[in-house]
Amino acid sequence: MQLVQDGRPQAFELLYDRHGGAAFSLAYRMVGARNAAEDVTQEAFLSIWRSRLRYEPTRGSVRTWVLGIVHNRAIDALRRHTVHDRRMVPSEGIEEVREAPERTDAEVARRQEAASVRSAIGELPDEQSQVIELAYFGGFSHTEIAEMLETPVGTVKGRMRLGLEKLRRSLDAFAPEGYA
Amino acid sequence: MSDHAFRDDVAAYLLGALDERERHDLEDHLAECAECREELQWLRGAADALPRSVEQHEPPPRLRASLLAEVGVEGERERGPGLLERLFSVPRRLTPGIAWSGAAAVLAIGLLGGYGLSQGLSGDEVRTISATAEGNAGGVLTMSGDGEDGAILRVTGLAQPTGGDVYQAWVQRGRTITPEPTFEVGQDGRGAVAVPEDLSGADAVMVTREERGGARAPTSAPLLRVGL
Repeated sequence: MQLVQDGRPQAFELLYDRHGGAAFSLAYRMVGARNAAEDVTQEAFLSIWRSRLRYEPTRGSVRTWVLGIVHNRAIDALRRHTVHDRRMVPSEGIEEVREAPERTDAEVARRQEAASVRSAIGELPDEQSQVIELAYFGGFSHTEIAEMLETPVGTVKGRMRLGLEKLRRSLDAFAPEGYA
Repeated sequence: MSDHAFRDDVAAYLLGALDERERHDLEDHLAECAECREELQWLRGAADALPRSVEQHEPPPRLRASLLAEVGVEGERERGPGLLERLFSVPRRLTPGIAWSGAAAVLAIGLLGGYGLSQGLSGDEVRTISATAEGNAGGVLTMSGDGEDGAILRVTGLAQPTGGDVYQAWVQRGRTITPEPTFEVGQDGRGAVAVPEDLSGADAVMVTREERGGARAPTSAPLLRVGL
């Protein structure tokens, strides 16, 4: 990352190769269309390149920083569209998406990590996982979710907290050192 | 754990679900409340795991090529005008067929992330072809041989589109026009896009302005055309 911050495109290439797959996957999960996911990923990585001096190792891993920027860009993309165009598209069953081949140990590890986190999310009560997914992956605010579910705002925020707390405890149990 | 009025806002904040005013209020509160900061730090471990839960998919190679081309151009620009800048500063409306060789080609190959031009190292001629364009726009297409491995199109003088529009490249073969990646330009009107398609036998590479996400067929007349 230091070499990226020094402005070396070759180092940025390695950064993309290491995190581009996870970034594209997150973008696709959020915007639900391949072309739009490409745009989001491209915008995010250009933003990363242009704001590379802002990365601070003390505030988290490079991957967390990269995925945070992808998330913000995807939210921007979702909000550029009208609410009725925003949708949650499951990753499965979309013909145009090609599953990534498992070519490296790092990719295998990434898939295993994804499966573990999905499993932990799957253990949440439906009303908690629902508000978390609508907020994080759908880009909806708590007031929008409250209207959508016809549920008080306070209840929505409470479910978010309970869901994240439970998820955190599950992840701690799964890999105590991995998410601290 | 924190148990006061802001307690539930911490989770909503981490999920990006607060509006701007609420977010600022919470950030002000966090600056003063160690208990909520601790809650934030603890729950962040869960929020940070969410993006890692998605099904993993492989991004298309053209995304990597386009991105690295753009970063290569910006990296060179940050370092100031150099040999590459001068090489790319081909005047508009030149006739095709300007050939590169030796160190210049190797330098360009390295800067452009290796996409499409690697054959140049093994002996194929690296060619640049200038575009015809309207107004102040200009462009140079760089490829090796007949473009079997695609090409890099570098543009200048294109205005930054408003309304979220982007530019899109196209490949023309007779009456068939194939969509290629979209791209953006900087405030100085410069940009680059990788055209990953085999260009052998193609008639032209073109650029139009399209809505974000690109189009399946051009919706307007080309702003720029590179005849092959």
